[in-house]
Amino acid sequence: MLRFAIRRLAMLVPVFLAVSLVIFMIIHLVPGDPLEHLIQVGSSPEQRAQMIARYGLDQPLLVQYGRWLAKVVTGDFGDAIVMRQPVSQLIAENMPHSLALGGTALFFSTVVGIVTGVLAASFRDSLFDQAVMGFILLGSTLPSFWLALLMILMFAVQFEWFPVSGARTWDALVLPALTIGIGGTALIARVTRAAMVEISQRDFVRVLQAKGVPFWRIQLRHILQQAMLPVMTILGLRIGWILGGAVTVEYVFARPGLGSLLITGLGQRDYPLVQGCLLMLAIAVMLGTLIGDLAQAALDPRLREAMGAR
Amino acid sequence: MKTMMKGSLLALGLSALAASTALAQEATFVMTARLVGAPTYNPIKATKLNTATTLIFDRLVVQDADQSFHGQLATSWESSPDGMLWTFKLKPGVKFHNGEPFNAKTIEWWVPQFKGTENAFTVEAIEKVEVVDDLTVRFHMKHPDPNLLFNLASSFMCVPEPKSYEALGDKFGVTEAIGTGPYKMQQFTVGQQTVLVRNDDYKSASDLSKNQGPAKFKKLTFREIGEESTAYLELKTGGADVLVNVPTDFLPRIQADKAVKLVTIPGNEVVYMPINTSVEPFTDIKVREATAFAVNQKEILTSLYGGNGETAETFLISSLRESQVDPKYKISYDPERSKKVFDAAGWKPGADGIRVKDGKRLEVKLWAQNGTEFKRLAEIVQAQLKAVGMQADISIVDAGSINAQYRKKTEHQLAVRAYQWTNADIVDWFFAAKRAGYPNVSMFNDPEAEKLNDIAMNKSKTWDERVANFTKYHEYVLSQYPFAPIYQPVQSLAYGKRVVMPEKIRGIGFSSQSMIDIAPAN
Repeated sequence: MLRFAIRRLAMLVPVFLAVSLVIFMIIHLVPGDPLEHLIQVGSSPEQRAQMIARYGLDQPLLVQYGRWLAKVVTGDFGDAIVMRQPVSQLIAENMPHSLALGGTALFFSTVVGIVTGVLAASFRDSLFDQAVMGFILLGSTLPSFWLALLMILMFAVQFEWFPVSGARTWDALVLPALTIGIGGTALIARVTRAAMVEISQRDFVRVLQAKGVPFWRIQLRHILQQAMLPVMTILGLRIGWILGGAVTVEYVFARPGLGSLLITGLGQRDYPLVQGCLLMLAIAVMLGTLIGDLAQAALDPRLREAMGAR
Repeated sequence: MKTMMKGSLLALGLSALAASTALAQEATFVMTARLVGAPTYNPIKATKLNTATTLIFDRLVVQDADQSFHGQLATSWESSPDGMLWTFKLKPGVKFHNGEPFNAKTIEWWVPQFKGTENAFTVEAIEKVEVVDDLTVRFHMKHPDPNLLFNLASSFMCVPEPKSYEALGDKFGVTEAIGTGPYKMQQFTVGQQTVLVRNDDYKSASDLSKNQGPAKFKKLTFREIGEESTAYLELKTGGADVLVNVPTDFLPRIQADKAVKLVTIPGNEVVYMPINTSVEPFTDIKVREATAFAVNQKEILTSLYGGNGETAETFLISSLRESQVDPKYKISYDPERSKKVFDAAGWKPGADGIRVKDGKRLEVKLWAQNGTEFKRLAEIVQAQLKAVGMQADISIVDAGSINAQYRKKTEHQLAVRAYQWTNADIVDWFFAAKRAGYPNVSMFNDPEAEKLNDIAMNKSKTWDERVANFTKYHEYVLSQYPFAPIYQPVQSLAYGKRVVMPEKIRGIGFSSQSMIDIAPAN
């Protein structure tokens, strides 16, 4: 298992380098620069040129990338140009909010998604199953921006159950977590249902049924356990996705977090800030995938053996 | 038992009353759109500040909506006849939030702090600061700068406390911000919220404030909400008491909402259409003139902005004296003149109504940055131009990229955009040849304009002389049609039932002058 984990971890190094290059180039190749937000009415074109030199923006892109990467590997993301604070400090201040939101949303979508998927698979082709499938289709297609506003209008404005926005009280977490969680619930429910339906058609299930093992014991003990393998992969991916997917939701609900920070940085073309945020999101996705793979390997010895044999 | 119950009920009632009184002493302000994202309250080094800044710090002078100047930390000032000396008398007995005194030495320390910052231009004309006595300072100028008072009234010229400024370094304005203003900064989370508590010793309000003592609310929370719909819903549900800058799109909705009230003051913004004078067909002044007179400002005011605000007929906001140009230079909708000038320029209507010259159709590009307001504005202008025979194809460009696109200089022809500024030197900013591309989106490069620009910017000795020189420069720019003026929005503030607004909002925006007059409803 340890060998498997080390091998998977080593595979992340080239991925990290490739991702960092893509992130750096994308933000620098988009027209616009952070100086637009620093230049004051009355300043001269020469002052702009001085600022470009001061921030090293006159250097070739690859040189700028090299300098940035050299700092990043030491844990220094540089200083935000417009915000004028260390990017690592800004990320550290915002990360707990993103983790709280992402964690709550992941917990909600996992619990509700698996329960719904199990029930839908257990009552396949029933009215309940069709309703769940309808919900899944709806949940996976609703844009989070629109869903967020709908949530606010319904539960904050109409019923006044929750605050409209912010992160000052615990209940302010409910609506944004639900907004993100609904999309994840749909995905997990769909994967759980599909895996359970597929496994339920295997021979060993018929043997268990012939032996008279109770229905729910077969469903939960034997089918669900095996169906967890693809669900684990999805959950691993969701860990990273939830942080990235919270971007618009954090913005609409005016919550602090990596998403809000990223939107601010993008609007200001604050290169170090955007690069830092995107890199953190990419790392979250990579780690999520790694966790998913490790969990899958823990559940399925064949996978460990296959990786170890290579 | 009965007595005990009565006692408990009384205690409960008293504590509820105390809680509601405490709440009445607090108010939550919501800032949205352009006020969101100020990274620091360090006025010297910041390039973006928000509404809370002038509550933490005071300035030497402040400006009213009619552009007049009023003392805040200064009680009086005078300039020598040659404009080379400015003497300021300072208010006695003023203390910073940490107890340090404010005096002439503060100003002597403060002015050089701007050196090397993005705000250095504000004090560029000051050679040195002389401490005459404890409450008198004299600025020795490198050259006359009649714009000095305007600069001193800027939020970037709020006065910080020297010792804490030096001690905190880059953390000043983030972890702590010490000023002399009516509120002390208690907590600041970048992009999220700022909590202010009342400075009970405050007594340096300008004469623009009715309240000359401490502010009426004990605690103010300024929340930053980028999404405008969310900001409005916070106000509607009582989550916020004041929405500081109401987006123009929301004005009709707020006016129809009985739960909130709206107060407006004259705007400091102009919406306009720059015309790229360096590309065909706009190299021809006649085509520019015809295009400028085809824009129906009144229709835009009514249909897009619901009648809120006023039309623009010059490049400057109406409250500036330099906007009072000779009426013959004003640009206001005249379709007949537009058509006549197009005809005179050789552009004749084709079979489909679009004008043609030498076999070439009058087709141009019209740029707008993304966002509902600019997109709709571009569509209306497009229809108005079509009515006089010009086909304008709209391109929507990302707001963060559009200035870089302008810098390519020849990609754009027409655009709809806006600026926010309260000084006539904005004409220099947008039309000086040295800034062609951006901010001189019109690519305006005219020798006569450059000459008038130099006189207005560098040769004026007094404020009146500067006004006269800028008026001439402005008039000349108008006569060359490098843009079409469109609209002047109002500044709007919406508020709920828990606050009472002063009868008149003073100042060029919502700042400390009026903020300390805002009171709890009971």
